[in-house]
Amino acid sequence: MPYFRITLLRSAIGLPAKSTGVLKALGLRKRMTTVYHPVSQDVAGQIMRVKELVDVTEVETALTKEEMKALRRPDPGFYIERRASEIRDLAEEAPRW
Amino acid sequence: MFGPFRLTQPLSGGLLWKIPWRLSRHQKARHRFRLRAVDNVISTLDTALAKQGLSTKQLERWKKEMPTEQEMLPKDKYTVFDRKVKRYRKGIHKLPKWTRVSQRLNPPGF
Repeated sequence: MPYFRITLLRSAIGLPAKSTGVLKALGLRKRMTTVYHPVSQDVAGQIMRVKELVDVTEVETALTKEEMKALRRPDPGFYIERRASEIRDLAEEAPRW
Repeated sequence: MFGPFRLTQPLSGGLLWKIPWRLSRHQKARHRFRLRAVDNVISTLDTALAKQGLSTKQLERWKKEMPTEQEMLPKDKYTVFDRKVKRYRKGIHKLPKWTRVSQRLNPPGF
């Protein structure tokens, strides 16, 4: 199911109250927040209302807040050494990781 | 010449607008960038809805009436009609909230 990934780039401060209301309805409270909405005429109409303020891309799957945060997290730069037996135990508990 | 009571333009005349009468080339470049960003949003909406065989009235109207950034004349990109200005054109940066509104069309003949 395709989704619109909508990111608020410009704030609606000083613009008509309607655009603030549309942003609120889309779930965009602060700049640089990203929300996912299914591709539909309703959402397209809402985006049309605030097209100067947002960045829109079409994606196949919607990410949760936690998944988006995990994508932003940089590589820690280290890994934790384990004994071979510990790795084997972990693999038995969760075979696919 | 120095000190709190020096004769400056705002002190002697009151209000002093410091908006230059024309855009700098960097302002123009950023303005074109913003116009293209809006065009991208429109095309994204259009292609996403077209895949499902949908469209909206507002979107169709925008596509029919509004020129894209490439189609716009420099005159319409950087200036806007104003009946109070000599020769009926003023810089688009005089338009309130000009970086966040879509102002692409002007009256025909002006």
